[in-house]
Amino acid sequence: MSQLEIEGVCKEFPLRGGKGSLTVLEDVNLSIEAGELIVLLGPSGCGKSTLLNAIAGFNPPTRGTIQHDGVAVTRPDKRRTVVFQDYALFPWMTVQKNVEFGLKAQGVPEAQRAATARSHIELVKLKGFEDRYPYEISGGMKQRAAIARALAPSPDILLMDEPFGALDAQTRVLLQEELARIVAEMRCTVIFVTHSIEEAVFLADRVIVMSAHPGRVHSIHPVALPRPRNSETRALPEFIELTQNLWEALKPTWDQASTGQD
Amino acid sequence: MLESLLGQRGSRFVRGLLGIMLTLAIWQMLAWLDLINAVLLPSPLTVWGAIVDSLSDGSLIRHIVASMERVVVGVLLAAIVGLTLGVLLGRSSIIAEYCKPIIEALRPIPPIAWTPLAILWFGIGNAPSYFLVFIGAVFPVFISTYSAVRNIERTQINAALCLGATPAMLVRDVLIPGALPVIFPGLRIALGVGWMCVVAAELIAAQSGLGYMIQQSRLLLQTHFVVAGMIAIGVIGFAMNALMTILERKLVPWQESSRAT
Ligand SMILES: Nc1ncnc2c1ncn2[C@@H]1O[C@H](COP(=O)(O)OP(=O)(O)O)[C@@H](O)[C@H]1O
Ligand SMILES: [Mg+2]
Repeated sequence: MSQLEIEGVCKEFPLRGGKGSLTVLEDVNLSIEAGELIVLLGPSGCGKSTLLNAIAGFNPPTRGTIQHDGVAVTRPDKRRTVVFQDYALFPWMTVQKNVEFGLKAQGVPEAQRAATARSHIELVKLKGFEDRYPYEISGGMKQRAAIARALAPSPDILLMDEPFGALDAQTRVLLQEELARIVAEMRCTVIFVTHSIEEAVFLADRVIVMSAHPGRVHSIHPVALPRPRNSETRALPEFIELTQNLWEALKPTWDQASTGQD
Repeated sequence: MLESLLGQRGSRFVRGLLGIMLTLAIWQMLAWLDLINAVLLPSPLTVWGAIVDSLSDGSLIRHIVASMERVVVGVLLAAIVGLTLGVLLGRSSIIAEYCKPIIEALRPIPPIAWTPLAILWFGIGNAPSYFLVFIGAVFPVFISTYSAVRNIERTQINAALCLGATPAMLVRDVLIPGALPVIFPGLRIALGVGWMCVVAAELIAAQSGLGYMIQQSRLLLQTHFVVAGMIAIGVIGFAMNALMTILERKLVPWQESSRAT
């Protein structure tokens, strides 16, 4: 049995005015093994966030089941933490207090949680910024802090919803490399949502391509690039070839998503 | 000329001060010329005399302390009830559906209109003042808390939940601080309304306080003490508002960022 089993998941949202509903996810099936880095790739509006929110337990599916270690997911749980595109740091807490939040929720004693938080702040290379408030640091640093906050309670699965989508291109590339390094160190499962093919290929063990209207699993692509992944990875012929192939394969669905025609 | 000497803020302050002094000077002049009836409107110097007298015999301070104690108690009660209701209704739309109509029906009634009931229920003394201040202050606290809690970023609540936050931690560490930037102006308004309510309550339903002082002085035709009391009310109201603004800067430092952008 895999760590995360997603079976026949459908999600419908009631339409405004109460007539009928919008099917956002239709019959999604996935098995994810412990320690895998899974990337959900698809055009915007195809239901990536909806699927991730269902896995997190924020928004249960209309039909179908999601099981984490054989237990149905019904609510948020500290074994599945989330990194959001808009960081969602608590602006009234310093970086240190933000990272400590999950540990505090578990009742970890103060001295111990301060130490654990510091080691995670170091892991994401934010040492020296512990006492800054989120408004005092850059977008890239905010997302590093959010990653440290999500990793501090040692989750089984780290869920990331377009975490680098709001960052400039250079910061984004840097953080992709950092994430590859951090995840290798932490050994947790990662489900990473993006609409960037390059980002997907660079990070993933497997890329799950989704198609839109309604959201479905279109195809699954294992990425056999060597690890550790770093700046040299992007220069590998296999990397370039895979990116190109994926783009060719995806063009039709992407087209359809952007024009809204089936 | 002023700007080059004192800068923009300094010169604005000096101009404001000059405006007040000029008004007082004209007022005093008209009094000296007997153009104003001293019983209906005493001159600034007579009022100043009344302030000095009531300060030196301790009566002014006594009345100020009595009024402020009532405001503090009433506003504290209002803060506890308003915050609790605001968080509760902000988080649960079912509870909100039960309670919102009653709250909206009571809210437009001016606190002063509760005075007769307050006297019937609580007699004369501190209790009716506590009650009237509470009635005036509870709605601003409730409304600001309620709308603030409802407008907290969904992702911040989700972040807290997936990190394992207990309900108590969600309220204490996320909902309240997240709502604080909106709650604070509500508290400031509550304090201002409470201050007006206490004076109104003391006009009728108390044996001490600034409202009682100006009412008694009116009955004795000591208009200069009436005006002295009014000035004390104004100065203290202004000071409380300024204090809350400073407190807000201290307690909500992260707001600086959104003020700047
Ligand atoms: N709460 C909701 N109510 C109604 N429709 C929604 C809701 N959330 C998402 N949707 C719709 O579901 C579709 C997929 O949204 P989303 O999962 O955010 O896509 P993605 O993350 O891939 O961009 C969109 O068309 C969006 O309008
Ligand atoms: Mg999305």
